[in-house]
Amino acid sequence: METVRNALDFSDFPRADLFIAGGIFFLFLLFPFFSHSSFAMVTMIQFLMFSIYGMGWNTIGGYGGQVDLGKAQYVGIGAYTTGVMLIRWDVPFWFSMPVGMAIAVIWSFIIGYPLFRLKGHYFAIATIATSLVLKDLFTVWPFVGAARGLEISPVRFPPPNFFRLIFKDDIHYYYVILGFFFLSILYMNWFRKSRLGYQLRCIKDNEEVARSLGINVHWAKIKTYAIATAFVSMVGSFHVCYIKVIEPVDVMSLDLSILIALMAMLGGAGSLWGPVIGAGVLIPLKSYLKEWLGASAGLVGIDLILYAVIIMVVSAFEPRGIWGIVEKVRRRKRR
Amino acid sequence: MDILLGSIVAGILLGMVIALVALGLTIIFGVMDIVNFAHGEFLMVGMYTGLLTAQATGVDPLFTLPVAAVVGFLLGVICYAGFVKFLLRGPMVAQLLGTFGLMLFLRNLALLIFGSSDRTVHQGILVGKSFDIGMGIIVPATKLAAAGLSVVAFAAVWLLMNRTKIGRALTATALNAQAARYMGIPTEKMNALAWGIGGGSVTVAGALIVNFWAVNPFMGLLFTMIAFAVVALGGFGSVPGAFFAGLVVGLIMEIPGFWDFFTYTFDLQWMADVPMTSLKYMWIYVAYFVIMVVRPRGLFGWKQ
Repeated sequence: METVRNALDFSDFPRADLFIAGGIFFLFLLFPFFSHSSFAMVTMIQFLMFSIYGMGWNTIGGYGGQVDLGKAQYVGIGAYTTGVMLIRWDVPFWFSMPVGMAIAVIWSFIIGYPLFRLKGHYFAIATIATSLVLKDLFTVWPFVGAARGLEISPVRFPPPNFFRLIFKDDIHYYYVILGFFFLSILYMNWFRKSRLGYQLRCIKDNEEVARSLGINVHWAKIKTYAIATAFVSMVGSFHVCYIKVIEPVDVMSLDLSILIALMAMLGGAGSLWGPVIGAGVLIPLKSYLKEWLGASAGLVGIDLILYAVIIMVVSAFEPRGIWGIVEKVRRRKRR
Repeated sequence: MDILLGSIVAGILLGMVIALVALGLTIIFGVMDIVNFAHGEFLMVGMYTGLLTAQATGVDPLFTLPVAAVVGFLLGVICYAGFVKFLLRGPMVAQLLGTFGLMLFLRNLALLIFGSSDRTVHQGILVGKSFDIGMGIIVPATKLAAAGLSVVAFAAVWLLMNRTKIGRALTATALNAQAARYMGIPTEKMNALAWGIGGGSVTVAGALIVNFWAVNPFMGLLFTMIAFAVVALGGFGSVPGAFFAGLVVGLIMEIPGFWDFFTYTFDLQWMADVPMTSLKYMWIYVAYFVIMVVRPRGLFGWKQ
């Protein structure tokens, strides 16, 4: 009961924030009833998926300060578990998603134990290395479709089916992922006020101090890494049911890992709203740039050039992200 | 037996070039503690420079090294002065993502300008020629020349770092930037110089590699990871370490060759079933992970 009350308690935010957030979330609920293009719908679903990815990354990367650039491997584990279980044994999504989360968490414990002996740059590069190893292995493993990947055929699994999470219209997917999104927000709200959340912020500021306070630093990092993993793997499972095709180069690419970390940083790492803001800015920007500049103007790569320039400018001049700017302005006003 | 020896020779020759690729990364890391994700993209710039200069002027690709060195030096200095300088003030996550942004920028600029197709060198004095050095081992002349010139370039940078005043100033900046500043060393210039030397050495390596490796805008990441593995094994910031680690990583890249050798020698079916050529580059990532976990300092490292 205590936990639930903590998760629902947003009272430490300024009231203006809560009104804005509540209004926006209410609009999310009503979004399918406004007239919209199917492209806007796809972008919204992508935005919600990436905010959950970002929230997962935010636990370890934002609150804990451990820059993890290998999240795509857990997207892959979640997606492949659901995909393989559905295609080979016809296991419904709602059962295979927890299984995928469990497998991802076990894998995160196995590699997390040696990984967290490393710090800073070394840790970041090592997470990339593990992710690429897993991608290469999945590319040659015939059981999971090797380089061709897997495809969920609509003939064998006719839509709509809630248990397998196979629908024809995007609107159903939208409400499912929106439900996940609200649950994730509540979980993150609980997490930031939990014991582990405070321990992590202490670790981020100064590991020696954390150790002297009796925090088991290594174990706290591994636990948080597992939480981040579970988030990412959950959305990975959703991803396969939504896209219906998985290829190892697609779901496990380094670009995906970087995008996850980047969004959280752009919005403001280590804050509750940061990943949501980051995804809300970056995902529409990315897909509309691609639509306008890349596809219709015929200039391949120009959308990614602009995207790279944004990354460079943000990291050079405003590394605390959009939320950092908001807080700076507020502090100035208060004075 | 000839497969085994051939793989070893090929691995060592490749390793000499790879050592030059990693040299720039280790200098930059040693001097200023920043990881450059765009390193492989610098290599790609060097490859395109070598290729285009050779095509435009009609000289042999091996003689385009000075052009590549100048382009790389300027690229490194511009990147430092225009961008990386600002990153140093921020937290580590900003540094990592910032150089990653640089990587995306260079990669997609190349994609916009050159298109996504593979390009190779077609003519040149050495292209297509090879030596038979006995015991059935055939060495392509381009690889031999690239390896030899890499060692020369490596030695030149080593001499610059160890036998000149500028090199000593760079080492002092690497050891303790603040103390170096008290001694009157312009550390800001030294940082820019480190990026210049790093960029120059890697583009030279690129102009050598283009003789036997096709270039496309996406090949940078692979070489970035190779360079990370070399630098991790040799020790972050160690120049001699980069050379020996380069040889080791060159041999790691030839693991499919060794695998073939054991498959044929012992005639094992299960070994033949493993698609080892597709897993060629996986061993580099595995090597990086194992090295970092077992010995984070590397073989010759002095920074922790």
